[in-house]
Amino acid sequence: MPRAEAISAAPGGLRGDSPGLRLARRSLTLIAACVVLLPLADMAVITRDPWSELGRMLSGMAWPHWWSLPSPIGAIALTVAVALWGTLLGILLGFPLALVFSRSRLVRAGCAFVRAIHELFWALLFLQVFGLTAVTALAALAIPYAGIFAKVYAEILEQTPPAPRDALPPGVGRVSRFVYAELPLVWERLAAYTRYRFECAMRASVLLGFVGLPTLGFHLESAFREGRYHEAGALLWLFYLLIASLGVWGHRRLLPLLVVGSAFLLGPWPRIDGDLLWRFVSRDLWPAPLREGDWAGLLAWLGEIPELLPAIGNTLLLGLMGTVGALLVALALWPLASRHFGNRATRLGGRGLLIALRSTPELMLAFIFLLLLGPSMLPAWLALALHNGALIAFLAARHADALQPGMPGLNASGRYAYELLPRIYPGLLALLFYRAEVIIRETAILGMLGIATLGFHIDSSFAYLMFDQAFFLLLVTAALNLGVDALSRRFRPRDVVLDDPCSR
Amino acid sequence: MSQATLLDLRDANLGYGDSVVVSRLSLTLRAGERIALLGASGAGKSTLLAELRQRLAERAAWCPQSHGLVPQLAVYHNVYMGRLERHSALANLCNLLRPNRRAWAEISELCRELGLDGLLKRPVGQLSGGQRQRVAIARALYQQRELFLGDEPVASVDPHQALRLLALIDKRHATSVIALHQRELALTHFNRVWGLRDGRLAIDAPADELTLADLDRLYPDAHDANDAEG
Repeated sequence: MPRAEAISAAPGGLRGDSPGLRLARRSLTLIAACVVLLPLADMAVITRDPWSELGRMLSGMAWPHWWSLPSPIGAIALTVAVALWGTLLGILLGFPLALVFSRSRLVRAGCAFVRAIHELFWALLFLQVFGLTAVTALAALAIPYAGIFAKVYAEILEQTPPAPRDALPPGVGRVSRFVYAELPLVWERLAAYTRYRFECAMRASVLLGFVGLPTLGFHLESAFREGRYHEAGALLWLFYLLIASLGVWGHRRLLPLLVVGSAFLLGPWPRIDGDLLWRFVSRDLWPAPLREGDWAGLLAWLGEIPELLPAIGNTLLLGLMGTVGALLVALALWPLASRHFGNRATRLGGRGLLIALRSTPELMLAFIFLLLLGPSMLPAWLALALHNGALIAFLAARHADALQPGMPGLNASGRYAYELLPRIYPGLLALLFYRAEVIIRETAILGMLGIATLGFHIDSSFAYLMFDQAFFLLLVTAALNLGVDALSRRFRPRDVVLDDPCSR
Repeated sequence: MSQATLLDLRDANLGYGDSVVVSRLSLTLRAGERIALLGASGAGKSTLLAELRQRLAERAAWCPQSHGLVPQLAVYHNVYMGRLERHSALANLCNLLRPNRRAWAEISELCRELGLDGLLKRPVGQLSGGQRQRVAIARALYQQRELFLGDEPVASVDPHQALRLLALIDKRHATSVIALHQRELALTHFNRVWGLRDGRLAIDAPADELTLADLDRLYPDAHDANDAEG
């Protein structure tokens, strides 16, 4: 057949240099790495009868006992007050830093460091000095958020359209230029990001209950732990309602009232002991051999840290598994909430599912799976994959909804594989790589539930009052996060417009 | 012709960074001149205007091509920005919250002349293209300088209105340099024409010595374009 030679042979699978193939190879490499390393993870199901436990939990969700809640008003008020003031203080600290962010390497490094430590770890740290007080709660939120606000605000400000600034007459001062020709142009985006961060703060504020601060999470944890699922269900519904109605009670016009009013709900306030504080910062946090300049002793001290390398390994492994899991969950779930698929009812249900998964704090999800499946990496993996996958799926669906398919007659699988996925996949993967940093940070805190990541050892070091060891492990966690962040930035798809700040 | 020289360029190379856009440029700008700046897009009009703006600094009011308006702010605030440097930062901040009474009176008078009355509180983002253009001109007029520099300030209004706007600009400025694409307007309404072609000053002559055919030569594709239109 002489003609056949003129037609080139079909290329082998995934060979070629188009951007789509490059992304596909990158994704498959990630998945392959996860599959190869999976046997190293402890994935046993330990509880005897997870299904009946799940049934009891679901019945608790389905028939919440509102009447048995011991006055949740106080817990709700404190949750909102902490979230609101934590965010506000974060803005007050972060905004000035955003203005010098691009000019100061020191500020950038400092912000990266405070961001790299999860809110709950900050809470554990401040807990040692300020106890179960409002200072601990507020500092735990405000400090990492200052770093996040500084970075994201700086990125948004950098994208200010230059034309109005250039049109100004010569000699306009810095402040006037900023408030007239820069701030109004980006105000909408700054506000949108701040709103999203406040939603994160609500989740974090709930989580503070897990270390003992009397927010909603405190009651949630004890209700779950003691098997009072109908009460836990009522509390969870209450939390979803709170998040869903954010637009109503968190309205722009109500905000000043809310800020002032909630200030009175914060408490209790600690009596700050300066000597104790100084002792903690100058002595307790540092290993004794280091303070004495005894280098051999320092090595011995390092050797005494139990299972440091396995903990780092587990943290990284869980981070990888969580990232890959989130990718698969996102690929499977995004059509549920997209206008291109299903009917009105399925879309409503799909969107509800994604919002519920996204709104539930991952620690909460992991805790529920832990009660079901027993302590292994499995519940942590499920929680990370579902929470982050749902978040990415939601944004991917919104991206897809803005697209118009070129061929109207295609069936669902054709629309998915040929029309929509090729267009949204670069954005989806970019979101995933952004999210990898968040996932590794969450991985560490899942240790507080007993999963053998770095967080587990940090939690227990604090419990045994070994502050130097806890602090060292916190620094290791931060370094790990910074490393993963640099790595994901290296492999993230470039030239994708990510105008959605709500991914970080 | 004993008018004062405002600016004198001799063999100047203009451009951004290392790239030269307009080369070996020599021209003189005298007080009282009304200059139409012509040339195809990319010929260097904006580069020349940027240079003039930089050299004349505080003597020139500036009306940029992209308007440089802030869509989120009201018409009043956008016009007020023309004198931002003449107030303290605090006064400017207060003015954002509550308009300065004197500035409000002046700006509403100016906007009335430009046919923008009743729109002072409207965000610029909600205006039509022609209205925005007039806001940009209002801001330049509000600067109250002796000289007006404009990059296509009458590009997106109808010919009748363009004449009215140019008259307003002339009323308030003794001297003006305005980039245009309406060749007829350049001959009827200005007393001198600077024509740029391929980064060189091809025409520098009084308007009454020029014909439309002279100006057509500035546009390499003008002939073809006219054929296509016909």
